[in-house]
Amino acid sequence: MKQTILILLVSVALFSACEKDDFCTQNPVTPRLIIRFYDDTNRETTKRVQNLVINSEANSDTIARYNGVSTDSIVIPLNPNALETIYNFSKDGVVNQFSINYDIQEEYVSRSCGYKIVYTNLEFSSPTNTWFTDFTPKTLLNLNDQTTAHVQVFH
Amino acid sequence: MVFVFAENYAQEQPKDSLITKEKDTLIYKTNAGIRLGVDISKPIKASLDGVYTGFEIVGDYRIKKNLYIAAELGYEEETSSEFMVSNSTAKGNYIRLGINYNAYKNWLDMNNEVFVGYRYGFALFDQTLNSYTPNVSDADNGNYFLAEPVANPVTAKNLNAHWSEFMVGIKAETLKNLFVSFSLSYKILMSVKEPENFKTLYAPGFNRIFESNTGFGFNYTVSYLIPFTKK
Repeated sequence: MKQTILILLVSVALFSACEKDDFCTQNPVTPRLIIRFYDDTNRETTKRVQNLVINSEANSDTIARYNGVSTDSIVIPLNPNALETIYNFSKDGVVNQFSINYDIQEEYVSRSCGYKIVYTNLEFSSPTNTWFTDFTPKTLLNLNDQTTAHVQVFH
Repeated sequence: MVFVFAENYAQEQPKDSLITKEKDTLIYKTNAGIRLGVDISKPIKASLDGVYTGFEIVGDYRIKKNLYIAAELGYEEETSSEFMVSNSTAKGNYIRLGINYNAYKNWLDMNNEVFVGYRYGFALFDQTLNSYTPNVSDADNGNYFLAEPVANPVTAKNLNAHWSEFMVGIKAETLKNLFVSFSLSYKILMSVKEPENFKTLYAPGFNRIFESNTGFGFNYTVSYLIPFTKK
């Protein structure tokens, strides 16, 4: 009986010591912006952008996975150190700037994941449309829903 | 060594160690009283681990043949550092109160223990978030933007924690009335006051608080029995 208690306690200790809270399993912690590209004439159907290259004003490096790809949806991060992110979306070498303004809040998630950034009151704008014809919506409350597109861009 | 000592002990005090009750039944009595000591694992941990300081006084009192009431009182300060995420320091005082049941049948008048115990624990402490870095890791995009660390210490004062603790341990009388004890404990948090927009990651006396609100403890104590009766 006493031995059983002892064995039980030790095994509980060993098992619980391997709890998963050492690793942040949530990826990513901070939400990203999801943009979907649609056909300008047939607005219900998605349309791929050919030879898409994405970089930003804050970081002139090209995002590796968007370097000359053909895609109808992109998932991109916002700059956590500023209240504005200006992206350069280049299609066949023609650049269309797209800027996002927002507020930043930091929200605690967990020991291993730490703080996530909550982007709120987002405003989208395309200073000069080159290959964009239109986009919607112009404003958005937050990026909490990470399953559907936040912005629809027509081209 | 314990055996050698036990023989000596038996020879030294044969008269009052043996009480004849019936013809062939001997009841061996052992010293009883308040046993006081310190946890020596904490100063050792403090000297090895620069982000920790701690001190704990332990005491128990035998109320029945195999039953002791026990208490621990201490102070701890520890900095929890989560890689690339947060760095926080908790410091404060705690008390643990409960009982130990000795499951070991001693030989003759030996006074050793293999015990199981229960404690109720309470801690009162402050926790300072020293620094943190917002988690914007985004492997898909090759961590395109990196967040700047925020070093703006925020202290949450007067936090508290209540918990239950189950322990197993051994105690051995190494010299007359001097005891060395090891024990392990499994702790379950009953309630904790969390800081705003952060979490209590460590509570003095409880140790690291795991995501499931459980924790583990280890004690290595040396204590002295102040005998004033025999039981």
